[in-house]
Amino acid sequence: MAPTTGAPSQPINVKLLLIGNSSVGKSSLLLRFSDEQWLPEDESSATIGVDFRVHKMEINGKRVKLSIWDTAGQERFRTITSSYYRGAQGVILVYDVANRESYEALPRWYSELETYVSSSVVKILVGNKVDKEFSRQVPRAEAEKFAARMNSLFIETSAKTAVGVTDAFQEVVEKILDTPELWESSSSGGGARGQNTGHGGGGVPGGVQVVGLDEHRQDGEGGCSC
Amino acid sequence: MPTELPYAADAELSLTYDELDVLRIQYQKELSQDHVTVQTKFNYAWGLVKSPIREHQVDGVRLFQDIYRAEPTRRRECLYYLALGHYKMGNFEEARKFNALLLEKEPTNLQAQSLSQLIEKGAARDGYIGMALVGGVAALGTLVVAGLIRRARK
Repeated sequence: MAPTTGAPSQPINVKLLLIGNSSVGKSSLLLRFSDEQWLPEDESSATIGVDFRVHKMEINGKRVKLSIWDTAGQERFRTITSSYYRGAQGVILVYDVANRESYEALPRWYSELETYVSSSVVKILVGNKVDKEFSRQVPRAEAEKFAARMNSLFIETSAKTAVGVTDAFQEVVEKILDTPELWESSSSGGGARGQNTGHGGGGVPGGVQVVGLDEHRQDGEGGCSC
Repeated sequence: MPTELPYAADAELSLTYDELDVLRIQYQKELSQDHVTVQTKFNYAWGLVKSPIREHQVDGVRLFQDIYRAEPTRRRECLYYLALGHYKMGNFEEARKFNALLLEKEPTNLQAQSLSQLIEKGAARDGYIGMALVGGVAALGTLVVAGLIRRARK
């Protein structure tokens, strides 16, 4: 996107995080949103650790600079990705409507959020891959109800056909701009301030080792003493 | 300021001393118990490669090399972080080599593609500095020669 010229005011910095099981389409949503592109499944590759993109947009006349952190969904990266939660103002939780397991995993993602970000952080639950309507495993109404209970916005999308993708990002940013707690300088939770977002990436919150060990067990990679 | 392009997020952000310490202590604890899990080693290597300190980066790369050899299932990740580590150390040839291996297997991997851009940019910058140095030496040489000639004429 071309930067807006002539406007003297600084854009508002917003940090967003994409989380959810692997293969639900987090990177695809980001690629569709930022580049208006889509890669077929056999060409797309699992994210290694984290990926990052900057996207500029205008919302209600305000210039916003989005830093979007796209995290790997694989268990093995859980320690690494959790270190990027700090300073996020919005979290996009993604599941695959044609994969029940990715939906069932959501409570775990929510509990991780509880650990690492303040409760005022804006959450949106995104049911991706609605282009696979024929093999849907998660009814829209059920997910909508769950999202409401988890105090989250809700939308269904398809990164493949572009349905709902821009809306998902737009809604979460609008809500962030409307949430004063996220912009108070004395807000709790370390880097929850907008101006900090550019640097909010580094932390390994306490207890990460436990996450790593858990994963180790689940991965069934025990016994290797390399 | 972040670029407009996608870029290797782990290249520029480092952990705090305490955060890296959490990973190091876990690694050394397991080392002393003679059983280091791949995950612990991987996490520590990642923290080291992210560090701005060169010795850390060197250690991180060494650990990733170990993991690469021992764990075929972690090879793609190792290749990426090996390329990243060498890039950060300014070893652009090595960085290129590892990243190329990853791109060979996954030609459409966007992370590897953007890392490749960073590596090429770094290598080009090195090239300019090299040329500037050579140019500077040449210019200095000219001055010295000119000085000698002038002195000889006096």
